[in-house]
Amino acid sequence: MSSLKLKGVRKSFGTLEVIKGVDLDINAREFVVFVGPSGCGKSTLLRMIAGLESTTSGDIEIGGTRVNEADPSKRGIAMVFQSYALYPHMTVRDNMGFALRFAGKPKAEIARQVGEAARILELEPLLDRLPKELSGGQRQRVAIGRAIVRHPEVFLFDEPLSNLDAELRVHMRIELARLHRELKTTMIYVTHDQVEAMTLADKIVVMRKGEVAQVGTPLQLYDDPDNLFVAGFIGSPRMNFFQGEVLESGNGAFVAQLVNQGGVRLTRSLSGRLPAKGDKVTIGVRPEHFADAGTGTADIALKVDVAEHLGSTTYIYANTAAGEQVIVEREDRHAGDADTLTVAIPADKALVFDSAGNRLR
Amino acid sequence: MAQTRLDRSEQINGWAFVMPALVLLGIFMIYPIIWSLWMSFQVGRGANFSFGGLANIQRLANDGLFVQALTNTFIFFIIQVPIMIVLALLFAVALNDSTLKFRGLFRTLLFLPCVTSLIAYSSLFKSMFSNDGIINQALLTLHIIGAPIPWLSDPFWAKVVIIVAITWRWTGYNMIFYLAALQNVDKSIYEAARIDGVPAWARFTSITIPMLKPVILFTTILSTIGTLQLFDEVNNITQGNPANATLTLSLYIYNLTFRMMPSFGYSATVSWVIVLIVAVLSFIQFMIARDRRRPS
Amino acid sequence: MSFALLRRGGVYLFLSVAAFLSVFPFYWMAVGATNKSIDITTGQLSPGSNLVANFQSLAAQVDLVRIFGNSFLLAIVSTILTLAVSSIAGYGFEIFRSRVRERVFQLLLLLLSIPFAALMVPLFVMISRASLTNTFTAVILPTIASIFIIFYFRQATKAFPGELRDAARVDGLKEWQIFLFVYLPTMRSTYAAATIIVFMNAWNNYLWPLIVLQTPENKTITLVISALTAAYAPDFGVILLATVMATLPTLVIFFVLQRQFVQGMLGAVK
Repeated sequence: MSSLKLKGVRKSFGTLEVIKGVDLDINAREFVVFVGPSGCGKSTLLRMIAGLESTTSGDIEIGGTRVNEADPSKRGIAMVFQSYALYPHMTVRDNMGFALRFAGKPKAEIARQVGEAARILELEPLLDRLPKELSGGQRQRVAIGRAIVRHPEVFLFDEPLSNLDAELRVHMRIELARLHRELKTTMIYVTHDQVEAMTLADKIVVMRKGEVAQVGTPLQLYDDPDNLFVAGFIGSPRMNFFQGEVLESGNGAFVAQLVNQGGVRLTRSLSGRLPAKGDKVTIGVRPEHFADAGTGTADIALKVDVAEHLGSTTYIYANTAAGEQVIVEREDRHAGDADTLTVAIPADKALVFDSAGNRLR
Repeated sequence: MAQTRLDRSEQINGWAFVMPALVLLGIFMIYPIIWSLWMSFQVGRGANFSFGGLANIQRLANDGLFVQALTNTFIFFIIQVPIMIVLALLFAVALNDSTLKFRGLFRTLLFLPCVTSLIAYSSLFKSMFSNDGIINQALLTLHIIGAPIPWLSDPFWAKVVIIVAITWRWTGYNMIFYLAALQNVDKSIYEAARIDGVPAWARFTSITIPMLKPVILFTTILSTIGTLQLFDEVNNITQGNPANATLTLSLYIYNLTFRMMPSFGYSATVSWVIVLIVAVLSFIQFMIARDRRRPS
Repeated sequence: MSFALLRRGGVYLFLSVAAFLSVFPFYWMAVGATNKSIDITTGQLSPGSNLVANFQSLAAQVDLVRIFGNSFLLAIVSTILTLAVSSIAGYGFEIFRSRVRERVFQLLLLLLSIPFAALMVPLFVMISRASLTNTFTAVILPTIASIFIIFYFRQATKAFPGELRDAARVDGLKEWQIFLFVYLPTMRSTYAAATIIVFMNAWNNYLWPLIVLQTPENKTITLVISALTAAYAPDFGVILLATVMATLPTLVIFFVLQRQFVQGMLGAVK
């Protein structure tokens, strides 16, 4: 009903191709987040779905109907902009009801819809104010309200929280999650903040340079990234990466020597494709997965640089003998007290990536 | 209230920076206008004048030329200002589209008339609108008219020439103001309107125009003042002719003061008529543009 | 889809016609300068061979060097003084706020609506009494304090970061030094736009110089063109040539400072 399908969607500005063939299946009522670094094309893709940018090739289907040529107002979408884009000379009430006036709805109907949206978003006391009299968070709710009254099939959000301060952002994140639960509409949300992605999404689409790097649930992307990029993008603080060279490979396992770690070796078994002898691999370990020295398969000697105590967690920023930075997460407040620290890489938590950045499982 | 050294320094500097301008304005604007008010009650010619009470105002009421000048000035104002403002708005909106090719070129070309001196373009127009001139020839060739229009010798057409001239000269100027204001408008507002299903004409009337209200008011008042003071063009293209059909208030004052035996008191009175008209019209325009909403 | 295309085409047509109408008089002016007067009034569109003759006729009637010199002198001095006086006032009103000065500023805005026609009589009487008729001083002085430019600079100063001034004060600069060494260099595009406006105004000024300047050697090119046009049988070839020469400086300045001009306008309309 309000599902979304992208088939081989491409977009070029002149000779520059910015979206390089995207295929996506979004189910009805899903909260999907497009996330990625600046310039990855996530906003462009959103605007193509909205109809604000044309599609060079490929198909966009909303609710089973191809909408490539359709006017933005006829696609069954509503959009919340990063700058909220409220009509500055109209009251909150008029802002929310503006679209309905052009849909030919009778005044009583418009009033009812606006009232309903105002109730959901707790905007009732603000209905007669102008946007310039509202705070950032209030303006954002009005922008959402304007989208709600159109009862769209798909909600589109373009980095809606980036103009809010940190505390408000956390609050609005929860509001949005609650809104999704209450409205039960498909939502597509664009952000560069992977924390927002992880907390809000049913499904995350990680984008990089115009292509989809991986699609999955937050925890799938966290635990089981498909490639180096996704592994390094998702998760804060970042995953640690160690370079390795494969010494032996066969019988469902390989041995790699970690570069610049003084000869330390890691043995890892994989059920799928093995790297060949002599190949370069990257080993990824999340800060919280480091085991104590001697309990894993590879011990890494570190010199502690700075320890950040957040109360229940401590992040230790340390350097290897070769000067590369490693981040270790510990629940022990005294973990970073000493000058040196030795940690071990547990074989089962070590993620393996080949020289092209693809994950080997 | 204890004044700190910082406060005093602020005050001293504040006045120091604005004083030169204020002194000059006092001498060359405030003093003359007050003198003018006083003079408007004096009668007599040249340097011989004496108090005449409301005699000048009576003279105004019976002065046919004054009435004609007033009427002409008003006609120019009522017709020319709205046409120009609307045109300038349309140009600005058209040029605000970043996907339009040759935007910079169009903008430059449309603004170019504003670079000409009023005299220069008056001479230009005078030469173009002669009976066998290029304008008539073009209109005849395009079959828009059947016979040449006696532009400068017909009271009606002479007014048309003036209006066309002013519009040509000043539309680009107002257009730049609107363009600048439009650049300040968040583009996403229009995108939101497109998604909301607001058609293009409604985007113009319900979003663009209200958001541009301050600038439109500013330019309208400026244009009002400019057109009500119209002098250069009428003095050079038509000399107020034919038969005073294009006589404006400013030209009338000039004639009264410098072409005839000057009665400074009467000239001053007519000058104050202009001041009052401008003040009233500006006030009206302000009132129309004011927010009529009750603050909550 | 095709409606959008049609509308797009309509916009191009509309703008092209308007652009053509805007530019045609310039072509006319340039071509006219090369033609005989009678050809101009009968609408000849192509260039002729009368340029030299027109020039000779113009030079014979008018001391070109002197007249252009007058215009330039007036315009340049006017521009410098107006920018100086009006920009420091605009800066002063914005940076050093006080209740009294706010009232004064509002009064100034009211004064904007006083038409020159209302001032020209008393101003003329004033300068006659001061024996300043026919002088350049009398032409320039009343125009230096331009409320419009004061207003423009005040608006532009709103965009001037207060922190720059604070940093300069901490560094020990006095207020006038801050204006000269911090404000001026930062507001280049504002000054560029203002220069164009003020220079053009001064160069093209007509009515007041007409009233003040009496003797032929003091006249400006604007007055000369007006006199030539008002003749019983105006020689348009000569007139248009003079017009071309009079318009060139403003055209040049405009093209050179164009980008700053638009930027400056953008800054003022906030």
